[in-house]
Amino acid sequence: MTARRILVVEDNPLNLKLVRDVLQFAGYDVIEAQSGEEGLRVAQEHPPDLVLMDLQLPGIDGTETLHRLRQGSLGRNVPVIAVTAFAMAEDRQRAALSGFDGYVEKPISVRALPGQVEAFLAGRAE
Amino acid sequence: MTGQLAAFRKSRTAVLAGPADAGTRSTFLPLPRTARRLRLTGGPQGGTVTEPSERTSRVSRASSRQYQQLRQARHQSAASREILAALGRDVANPGAVLDTIVEYAARLCGAHAAQLYLLEGDVFRLSRVSGETPEEYREYLLDHPIARNRSSAVGRAAEDMRTHQIADVLNDADYGRKDLQSRTGFRTLLSTPMILENEVVGVLSMWRTDVAPFDDHERELLEEFAAQGAIALRQVNLMRALKSRRAELASKVAQLEALREVGEAVGSSLDLDEVLGRVVSNAVRLSGTDGGSILEYDESDDSFHVRAAFGSSPDLLEQLRAITIHRDSTLVGRSALARRPLEVPDLAQTELDSHLDILFRDGWRSVLAVPMLRGDEMVGVLVIRRRSTGAFPPEVTELLQTFASQSALAIVNARLFRELETKTRELEIASQHKSEFLASMSHELRTPLNAVIGFSEVLLDRMFGEINERQHEYLHDIRNSGKHLLALLNEILDLSKVEAGQMVLEPSAFRVGDALDYTLAMVRERAAQHAITVTVQVADDVEMVVADELRFKQVVLNLVSNAVKFTPDGGSVSIRAHRDGNELIVTVTDTGIGVPPEDQERIFESFQQGRRGAAKEEGTGLGLTLSRRIVGLFGGRMWLESTPAVGSTFGFAIPGLPQREDEVASLGSGELPVVVLVDDDRASLDLLSAYLDGSPAQVLRAWDGVEALELVRRVLPAAVVLDIRLPRLDGWQVLAELKADPATTAIPVVITSVDDDQSRGLALGAEVYLRKPVRRDELVDALRRVGALVGSESGLSSSESP
Repeated sequence: MTARRILVVEDNPLNLKLVRDVLQFAGYDVIEAQSGEEGLRVAQEHPPDLVLMDLQLPGIDGTETLHRLRQGSLGRNVPVIAVTAFAMAEDRQRAALSGFDGYVEKPISVRALPGQVEAFLAGRAE
Repeated sequence: MTGQLAAFRKSRTAVLAGPADAGTRSTFLPLPRTARRLRLTGGPQGGTVTEPSERTSRVSRASSRQYQQLRQARHQSAASREILAALGRDVANPGAVLDTIVEYAARLCGAHAAQLYLLEGDVFRLSRVSGETPEEYREYLLDHPIARNRSSAVGRAAEDMRTHQIADVLNDADYGRKDLQSRTGFRTLLSTPMILENEVVGVLSMWRTDVAPFDDHERELLEEFAAQGAIALRQVNLMRALKSRRAELASKVAQLEALREVGEAVGSSLDLDEVLGRVVSNAVRLSGTDGGSILEYDESDDSFHVRAAFGSSPDLLEQLRAITIHRDSTLVGRSALARRPLEVPDLAQTELDSHLDILFRDGWRSVLAVPMLRGDEMVGVLVIRRRSTGAFPPEVTELLQTFASQSALAIVNARLFRELETKTRELEIASQHKSEFLASMSHELRTPLNAVIGFSEVLLDRMFGEINERQHEYLHDIRNSGKHLLALLNEILDLSKVEAGQMVLEPSAFRVGDALDYTLAMVRERAAQHAITVTVQVADDVEMVVADELRFKQVVLNLVSNAVKFTPDGGSVSIRAHRDGNELIVTVTDTGIGVPPEDQERIFESFQQGRRGAAKEEGTGLGLTLSRRIVGLFGGRMWLESTPAVGSTFGFAIPGLPQREDEVASLGSGELPVVVLVDDDRASLDLLSAYLDGSPAQVLRAWDGVEALELVRRVLPAAVVLDIRLPRLDGWQVLAELKADPATTAIPVVITSVDDDQSRGLALGAEVYLRKPVRRDELVDALRRVGALVGSESGLSSSESP
């Protein structure tokens, strides 16, 4: 069984590296993008099984990127998870209202993240 | 005989008061109406001149005394009747009474003429004449009034305050008015004073052209007439006073109305031009002048500018706007400096400043400038002008000062409003900048912290290989410091939000026990490390609470983690929740070292941890401050009870508990119909409850669908007001269940929803579908329609909406 492919869209290179390393360590195939536009392109070339998307992105923001992903190559069944700041109720609300399948809070917990990703993938698989 | 009769027939009262007199002779009355006078003198009861008895009186004056007495008594009584009738008829016209008196006096006393004189200054001037008198004589007499002295019968009567008779003026050494005698030829004079409050106000007088003194009866008759005349005169005076008072009142009413109008304009309108326009037009109208303007003072250039005008041509306004009206060199400026009204009664006679020059050339002749003051502040000047010359009466000036202060108020109000608007805008911008700054700081600071904490954890978890003890320790320090910084950052942001009024609570109904268990779980590990026992106790009557769950947990977690931090190893921390009315009380008690009394209030201030001994781990110093502020936002309060060396109890109380079941039961058994309100948003519930305040209904509340169903099944209310978006069980499901259950199917349901789904609601059996936001009258009306509210109690009939 091939490793599931996770697309991480995150503009901060350090955080991107952290998430990539943690997910790779957990056995996922990670592809990355530093902007919404790049995310769309990468998703087109290498269709992911799950997308982790920061809400605050330069250029088109996370919500807009999500919409374009849904309209484009990404099927409706691929979960897209918002990465939101801790305790930012507005962000959570925005994520829920804009059609994300879930959210993980920043700061990302290195220990919890692989489990969270696995849960979202499992939820979709059933 | 016929001649005499004819003369009598013509002997109508000659009233000398004419329009010209009315102004100068204050004692004259308005002219009686002709018809009335004619009736008085020629009417059927008027004792017409052809009456035989009267003719008799003329020919046989010396006949039987008895007969004469009888005749006179008859006449006297007829005269009195006539006069009384006239008095009754002419209450509003006492002048007619005086006419009657003079007429009857002449007729009944067999005089050639009777005259009524009224006091005017020091002299007695002719007011009314009856009988044969040449026109020329009357005019002469008017111009030559009679003095209060011995030279005439009138003068003597006035001086002595009693009746005087001169049997023959040609044989009276003291008689001094031969001028009058020569014009009429009278010989015998009888005069009697008219006395009001011990003052002679007039004299009633009559004469005969033959020497034939008036007898006692005629004298008495005249005195009687004089007394009646005095009464009529008093009435005249009262009427005049009344009339002038009425005019005064009418003018006061007009002034007050104008002031009220202006006052209302000042109070209600912030459109300064409109207000000032009204002020100046009312000022001009009420002061009876021709035009005016309001000049506003501008501090920046020390001069006045036209703000409003009335009765001024566009051309004039343009000219006035074109010049600069300086404070030092103009009438307007001088009046402002002097802080009192200044006037120019004749612009042609004064040195004209630039402002007055324009007015003069525009045809204005007199000007009054009234400063508009507000406390010490000079706001402007109200200028009133006339096209004619003349001084301004003091009452006009006084009136205009009132208008000036109204104008000042209007201008100051408008300025304050303008200032307020600007300030508000500035504040909004500043607040927006602050929010943007905080949002961006939040993102910018969190992002690197995320990496710091994350990479430390990656290494600590040996994801990429083994690390030694010291490396582990340092990585641990790095991670904890990062987490501390992050907590601090979050709390600063939260506090800023609270301060800026931007912390938006999201109330929902949640289980208190679950929330407390969550906080327990968060500290369990640390507590275990220090052998601290942490327990949670929730009273039986506490289940759900409506509050912002996240913030609630934040507050409790702060108190619990503090307690764990400051409790020595082996101690205990108890988390308890109980009910106090509708309030939820949460306490966190530790067996720590306690807080000295002097620190118990200070500890809630930012960065004050108090002397609670060495903390096992540093806190941010903001936690308690923030917690207390959040509890405040909930509408609750937070406190501390502590005994040093024994321990501390931090507690808070917040509203949001549903009513207890026993209260519900007792309410439900009352006489009033019960209305169940269901909404998960506390503010909505509060609003709906408030709408029904004072209505003849008991209101019970439920926060979610499950609770609503339970409550409705228990109390079987008269109506249910149901929101659609509810936790646990949504409104559609609640509605369906209620309609499916025979026990509740008849209970009318009023749906309140933000969604436009009326057809679905009605199809599912709802009686009424209201779109949120719901107005009071809508709710009350709906509950009336479904029969849950009856009657038209005052609390319901009002139609106020929020």
